[in-house]
Amino acid sequence: MKKILIVEDDQELREELKILLDNAGYCGMILEDFLHAKDEILKINPDLILLDIKIPYMNGELLLRELRKETQIPIMMVTSLNNENDEVLSMSFGADDYISKPYNPTLLLLRIEAILRRIQPEVMTLSYHGLILIPERGILKYQDESIILTKNEMLILKYLMMNQGKIISREDIMMDLWDSDEFVDDNTLTVNISRLRQKLRIFGYAEAIETRKGLGYILV
Amino acid sequence: MKFKDYIKDQAYIVFLYMIMIGLILWMMISFHLNQSLIISIVMIIVIFICLIMIYDFFRKTSFYQSYYSMLEELDEKYLICEMIKEPDFLEGKILYHSLYDINKSMLERIGELESSIDQFKDYVEMWIHEVKIPLSRLTLTVHNHQTEINTAVLEQVHKLENQVDLILYYVRSQTAQKDYLIKATSLSQMVKNTVKKNKDYFIYQKVKIILKDLDDVVYTDSKWLEFILNQILNNSFQYTQDCLQPTIEISTIKKNNQITLSILDNGIGIQESDLPRVFEKTFTGDNGRIQKKSTGMGLYICQKLCQQLGHDICIESKYHEYTKVMITFHNDRFYDVLQ
Repeated sequence: MKKILIVEDDQELREELKILLDNAGYCGMILEDFLHAKDEILKINPDLILLDIKIPYMNGELLLRELRKETQIPIMMVTSLNNENDEVLSMSFGADDYISKPYNPTLLLLRIEAILRRIQPEVMTLSYHGLILIPERGILKYQDESIILTKNEMLILKYLMMNQGKIISREDIMMDLWDSDEFVDDNTLTVNISRLRQKLRIFGYAEAIETRKGLGYILV
Repeated sequence: MKFKDYIKDQAYIVFLYMIMIGLILWMMISFHLNQSLIISIVMIIVIFICLIMIYDFFRKTSFYQSYYSMLEELDEKYLICEMIKEPDFLEGKILYHSLYDINKSMLERIGELESSIDQFKDYVEMWIHEVKIPLSRLTLTVHNHQTEINTAVLEQVHKLENQVDLILYYVRSQTAQKDYLIKATSLSQMVKNTVKKNKDYFIYQKVKIILKDLDDVVYTDSKWLEFILNQILNNSFQYTQDCLQPTIEISTIKKNNQITLSILDNGIGIQESDLPRVFEKTFTGDNGRIQKKSTGMGLYICQKLCQQLGHDICIESKYHEYTKVMITFHNDRFYDVLQ
């Protein structure tokens, strides 16, 4: 499990952030000792650091520079200072990304995922009763056969697989698609779902996605 | 200063001189002096008086003339002290020194006010950053603990965020200080970020979004432009509230090497009489009065920010048909330097 270290001084916010990361399948950790931040971070040796700019004892940008002298751990700056100067400065000091508060939690997770994938390109797969989805390649595999999914179909199936057994409303699916820059409307979603069902039928999974009237869809 | 005015101003002296000459003349005549002697003495006196007055006139006029012409030319009149030389006559010196003192005390006062405004601005910015922490926490909490009230809470959080942003950019737009950074930025990225930010509204209110031809790169500050786009989108949401099939189209038009971003909605539009005033501070117009939600600040701030960034912003609308906001990115030499 990937370790993600939260460097943030607001107690409640970091607890909430930890829950978000834990729910998303990471191991969220919290830095408690800001006085020896650098040594502490090096000792923990996380896979990614979420670094706030306003932290006690020193400034986040300074800590970033100090860390960059010794390690190449991916660092994402998280800050309430929403201006271009700070962003450019942080990036020039070696930050991998920059996100400003208040952030959209899904976007934060997407960006974390993107950084980790860039650093360590390993192919993520999701499976469901013998079906294997490789989101990056947009491929759905069953035994030795595979079919190509469009981006929308892939995103919908991925979302359903990640929330398997739960009823997912149409709005939830649309929100997820929008976060990935696919601004689909109601009709397009209907078309995408029916195309996805057709493709699933090839492998005999035609009934996998059930419609629950008035509620949404469920991957049974 | 004209010679006539000068003589008018010096009238009492001229009058006294005339009395003096009259008295001397009367005395000389009573003592039966030689007539030619009387004439020559009077001539000498008159000539010298004229010389003195003419000399004095020119000395003053040369100072005042340059003083007035400089005052005319200066845009910031208070800088006059830096422009004029200290004159060599008493009244001029008095004027010069008092101007200098007045200026100094005014500059001190302005300095005080400026620093108090700066302090206030710093405090507001700091406060905004502090407010964003509980806002982030609220967003995260709602996300982590799924319940039915989520969307309602998120909607309110979203509104709070917008209001906080509005004040932040108001403060930024009011100060001459440049805390923006212009660089090449992808238009489509900024538009997509803004659309994503408002995805809840789009999806739940079933507003159709059409994005067209947004592949250009423009020179701007992405944070500022995203704020502007967000304001325009939120306006469009209000205009299309009672629409049957609300649609917002964002596209670019290229003309003469200039890129214009247009945001078009099919909402209620703006009445023609209101159109010229939409960018005015606190102007709400008919739409604002009907919907009672407008503060009239959004577009005013947008225009201010566009001015600082060097973009043009304008609105085209037909009542009950559409509203189209256009932002033009100039392609002039200033931006070539940046390249």
